[in-house]
Amino acid sequence: MQVSGSIEWVMVVNLIIWTGLFLYLRRLDLQVRALESSQEAPAVEREP
Amino acid sequence: MKKRTAFAAFRWLLWLWLAAVIVGAFAYAPLAAKFIGQSSRILFFHVPMAWAAFIAFIAAGVSSLRYLFGNRPRRDPRHDRAARAAIELGLLFGLLATVTGAVWSRIMWGAWWNWDPRQTSIVMALIFNGAYLALRDAVEDAEKRARLAAAYAALGLVVTPFFFFVVPRITFSLHPEPVINASGQVDMNPRMLQVLLASGAGFTALFFWLHDLRTRVLAVADQALEAAAAGAPRAGIVGAWGSAPPHITEPGTAADPATASQRTSN
Repeated sequence: MQVSGSIEWVMVVNLIIWTGLFLYLRRLDLQVRALESSQEAPAVEREP
Repeated sequence: MKKRTAFAAFRWLLWLWLAAVIVGAFAYAPLAAKFIGQSSRILFFHVPMAWAAFIAFIAAGVSSLRYLFGNRPRRDPRHDRAARAAIELGLLFGLLATVTGAVWSRIMWGAWWNWDPRQTSIVMALIFNGAYLALRDAVEDAEKRARLAAAYAALGLVVTPFFFFVVPRITFSLHPEPVINASGQVDMNPRMLQVLLASGAGFTALFFWLHDLRTRVLAVADQALEAAAAGAPRAGIVGAWGSAPPHITEPGTAADPATASQRTSN
């Protein structure tokens, strides 16, 4: 497949932006999961 | 644990899928005829974003109907959160579709905005659905807010398809023919169609992931506010956007948590 010079850079920048977005979303996902766990844990501890 | 592993695999697959779409859009798909320069490549992002916005608004309507008519007598707030999250994401994708459309319009028609029926109708859809958030902000009582918002979003099940698919076809438009043309056929280079469909699937999956994230953030925020109102410890209290809500303070003060339950998850 042939790719002209400037378009190649647009593609690379797109990939970098998408990868950064993905990593950010993944980090958010893990943070939310930690928050959910911390909310569930006190409820479990309170049970007799 | 299996569900968590499956979801983790889905996220990585989505990253790979959309990365492949990006490479395909720039290196695999050919340029479309009658488009200036490389501008046809924007199609592989613009169309899927508009599609994701449509899916989001429909999902909001469906969640709203589930809130109104499901699980009686008590209305399940999960559906209300799902509807709100879907509207927010629909506005985000819709805005991105409008911006990418304006960029393409500048290249092809010489102006960012032409009041083209296609351009105008998507903005009308965004205004209609944006009013959902304004409606939520206007009502203090949580249950009344959820009911009114659900009724409004359910109306979107009729209005949204009208703005997305009917209005642009009523009058003449400079916008390129839709993927399925007036004859009911797909008139597109096979490689372009492959990348476009792959991109559509990827953006749809991205919407569902973002929707899941946003709904869970809203749920965490609601639970934290309820716990604060009940006088539980402050640890772990976050607002819907990840920061501690400013009105959570010591009991008996002007911003008493007892009033926080009235402002739950605006």
